[in-house]
Order: sequence, then C-alpha cells, then structure tokens
Amino acid sequence: MGDLILKNLSIRYGGKAVVSDFNLEVQNGEMVSLLGPSGAGKTTLLKAVAGLIQPEKGEIFIDGRSVRDLAPEKRNAVMVFQKTLLFPFLNVAQNIAFGLRMQRHNGSNTKRRIEQILQLTQLTGLGRRKIHELSGGQQQRVSLARALVLKPAVLLLDEPLSNLDANLRQQMRELIQDIQAETRITTLFVTHDQAEALMISHRVCLLLNGRLRQTGKPRELFYLPADTEVARFFGGCNFIQGRVKDGVFRSQFGNAPAPQVNGNGHLRTATIRPEDIQLSLDAKYDIHGKIAKTNFEGSATRIWVNCKDTRFVVLTTDNDLKPGQSVRIHLPPDKIRIFPVETGSV
Amino acid sequence: MRSLKRNIISTAVITTVALPFTILIIWSFSNRWFYPELWPRQWGLRAWDYVFGTAGYQIIGALVQSMLVALATALISVAIGIPAGRALGLYDFRGKDLISVILTLPVIVPPLCVAMGLHFWFIKMGLASTFSGVVLVHLTFCLPYSVFVLWGVFSNYNPDYEEQARSLGATSWKVVARVMLPLTFPGIMVAALFSFLLSWSQYLSTLIIGGGKITTLPVLLFALMGSGDRPVAAAVSIVFVVPAFVALLFSARYLGGKSIAGIR
Repeated sequence: MGDLILKNLSIRYGGKAVVSDFNLEVQNGEMVSLLGPSGAGKTTLLKAVAGLIQPEKGEIFIDGRSVRDLAPEKRNAVMVFQKTLLFPFLNVAQNIAFGLRMQRHNGSNTKRRIEQILQLTQLTGLGRRKIHELSGGQQQRVSLARALVLKPAVLLLDEPLSNLDANLRQQMRELIQDIQAETRITTLFVTHDQAEALMISHRVCLLLNGRLRQTGKPRELFYLPADTEVARFFGGCNFIQGRVKDGVFRSQFGNAPAPQVNGNGHLRTATIRPEDIQLSLDAKYDIHGKIAKTNFEGSATRIWVNCKDTRFVVLTTDNDLKPGQSVRIHLPPDKIRIFPVETGSV
Repeated sequence: MRSLKRNIISTAVITTVALPFTILIIWSFSNRWFYPELWPRQWGLRAWDYVFGTAGYQIIGALVQSMLVALATALISVAIGIPAGRALGLYDFRGKDLISVILTLPVIVPPLCVAMGLHFWFIKMGLASTFSGVVLVHLTFCLPYSVFVLWGVFSNYNPDYEEQARSLGATSWKVVARVMLPLTFPGIMVAALFSFLLSWSQYLSTLIIGGGKITTLPVLLFALMGSGDRPVAAAVSIVFVVPAFVALLFSARYLGGKSIAGIR
C-alpha cells in the first residue's frame, strides 16, 4: 500500500516527445484512471512508473521514495499488460507464484497466499490447469492474480480488459472494482474506454496528445469539462457561442447564468450534453428546428436537428420522430456549461 | 487418395532410408559376399567381433572423441547463436543484410577450402592438431545454421514477456534463465541438434585440422574403409549412425515448425 506522485514527468520515446510535463498524485488506496485515445502516451506513462522506460525529465515517487534510480524489480510497482503474457511453460499456480519465487518466498506461506488470491480472483480449483486450457477471461484473472499476490505498493493496469468481449468485460470491471475495494491497493488504470474509466475509478485523468487535460471525479469530467476537447472526448458535440454580460451568458439559443465567468462582452463557448436538450413537437419551446437524421441506438435515439446555422445532436427516448419533421428544442440553462477559458475556434 | 499418399510416403522412406540400412546391416553380418550374388556366401560375426574385440578400444576412443567434439561444438554454437539470433531477430540495425550474407559464406564455400586455409593459420597459432582447433573449425560450419535457426526463433519472440517478468520482480539474469530460455527452449534444442549432427559427420575438416591426432569416428571409419574390409566398415558405420539417431529421437518432439515459431 502506498501513494504515487508523478512530478513534471516528460518522456521521449524513439526521439519523439510522448508525454510532456505530466503531474499526478494518486492517494494511498485510490483507483485512478488514465483515460485517453490510443497513442496519447498512457502506456508509456505506465511503463515509466514500472521502470521499463526511463523518463527524460521529472520525478516519480512511490510510497514517498524517489524511484528514479531503481530497477523495475525493486520498485514495488507491478504492471499488468494488455496481453496476458502468462508463461506457457508454467501452470496457473506456478504463474501466480512467479513473482514470489523471484523474491525467494517459498513454503507453506506462499501456498496459502496463492490459495487466497485464487479465491479472490474466482479461480479456485484451477491452480493446476495449463495456461492454454483457460478461457480468455480466466487468463486475464490469472494475470491479475499474479500481480496482486505480490501486494505491491502500486498496481499498474494497462487496458487489461480490452481483449475481452462486452459481457465479460463488464464482469471483469466489477471484479476489479471489488478486489480494489477489498484490498485497498493503490491502482493506476489505463483505458481508452470512457465508460470504463468513469465506472471503475475514484478519479479520472484525461490525457490528450501526451498532456494532462483534466483530472477529477468521474462526474466532474463528464459534466464540467474544462474545454471543448475534453467535452468532445466524452461525447459532447453541441457547442454554442455567446457573449457574457453582467454574469449572464447570452446566445441565440438561450441564456444561462454565468456568475463565475469574468470578462464582460467577451465571446465564449458553451456546451450542452446531447441527452440534456429537450425536444418537443408542440409550441412549448421557442427554438425552431428541423430533424435532419435519426439513428436508433437501443436505449436512446440520436437525432440531428438543424436550427438556424447550427446542428444540434439530441439523445432522446422518443423514437417516433422522422427526418424532415419540424420540432422545437429547449436548452435548460442549468445544463449549459460555459468554458472558463476561451479556446478559439470551435 | 489418402492410401495413395501413404503409399508414396512409405515407398520414399523405404527406398531412401530402410534399403541402404538393410544392406549395411547385411554387410556387417557377412564374412564373404561377392558382387553379382544377391546374398552373402558366408554369414558371420567377424566384423562385430572386430568392432567390439580387436579394435574395441580404438572405436570407443573415437566414439568418445566424436562425442566430446560434437557436444562442445553444439554447446558453443548455441551459446553464440542465442545472443546473435536475439540481436538479429529483435532489433533493427545497419548492416543486418550484410551479416546474413557473411553468415552464409561458410556454407557456400567448400569445406576443403575453409579447412585448408584455416590450417595455415591454426599452425601459426598453435591450434593445429588440438581439440580446440577441431572444435573451432567445426564451428565455422555449425554457427551459420545455429544463428539462422535462432534468428527465426527470436523474430517470433515476444520481448514483452521479459518486461512483465521484470515488473514481477525478476532481475535481468533471472529473466534470461527463467523466462527467455524456457520460452525459446524448443528452438535452442533444434539449433543444438543441427550443430551436433553437423559436427558429428565432419570428416575432411577434422582430418586436416586434427592432423590424425584427433581421431573422431568418421576419421576412423574412412581409415577402415580404405583398408577395403567391407563388413568391418559396415559395422563401424552402424556404430557411427546409432548415437546420431538417438540424438535425433531424443529431440524429435522439438522438431517441426512449432518449435522454430517460438511463442508470440
């Protein structure tokens, strides 16, 4: 158990800057996700913490101790890779025991720890199985167990669920969440899947192009994105422009209170989530629009509405709407999020 | 269709392997067998008696000598082949194509040229007529095969296993011993077998560099062949083939594409 601090971390890989000036503090017992599209530098960052890549600049502290000059095997941070990488020449129990044997642990104590971990990862009774006799989900659990049995200060998970199918992935997420809650092991979880990050972690770090864009609780990132790119990453697609005057954001589609935004008369961008826009066929609302396209997506229907020169995307449970229909829309003021900093063009 | 295929395979095996062997065995158990006759005129154990009796010590000595040379050659060629194959299979660097050409050279150039040329230098360096000299000249023929086999093994090898092992607490030496060697073991066995068999059957280079001092089994075999005693030569040939055959059987499960392919 321990905390993890990354200070001004910059990493170059193959002559290219992959991560620049990254800062993060993970508290003891916390589960933090590193979220970002593929190629954002998430895995590189994880490998730097594990000691498999040397950062160009910056410091890494595990459990209050700088690990800059420590070899990977001495860092007390264990990484679980995207591929399970189970040793095919060892059986399940031997794979799990690998790390313990490297630390020269042996005997009955080891056996008991392996039994405990098999139980925790729901693998009881599979200890003698060969690796190729296991299903994909079981292999992933063995890979997790192999790291957990070492009780590292920091557990580093690199997209451990991305090779599983949807149902299995959901089960594994819950399992990882349960295990983390039970063992209170400090965990850094890398994923490109925003739903996974929001569901599994206490805090989410959004990484775009090697830079930290926003850190916060899942709800904060989802509802209070720092800028348009963060909003876009979480599926935000409605951006409106307006001017702030006397603490009110005014646009052609509606107004919203903006007490914390400074700068009278400045052009600002705001966003509203597609599921927050209200849609009506009656004259209840006053913004006119025409449906351009509808897309049935199961639990909701995605509707593109043309209003003046702007196209809004609306998620609604009403699936009787047809393209070409005239509708009225309403942007509830309390759902409009005004970006604190102007980011230029939208 | 299937039975036809099976017939072709069994015919091929019989004509290329079993038939020459049968004749060899018949020769070794005959006392007199003249050309146009289909069957030996007189059967007998004279040849085997010679092999185990009269020349027993000589043959056992040659057997041990051959075994030592072949084992040393196989061991060294694998020990050099692993790092070389790893470098060629996993990393990209300048001159990689040139290296593959240089590696094939000893295979292309006739052994006689290599052995004659090296003999001159080995005399100067005091390596002629020594055990290490013979092992060294065998290595010139074995190394290319061993490096090529291990090059193939390592180009299919996933180095992520090593990072995983490091992260689980293995030192770099333990990664080699506990992860890399077990993962590539089948391929290493194939490379070792190739080198062993190649060294086992070397005649010309052993004769030239060994100068008659290092008497391996092929050297002794040719001497006996020269004496014109066919039954004895046949018996010695069988003694010569058996260890190589045993080595092949021992490593048969590692042969085939699967082992060379390694693990991804």
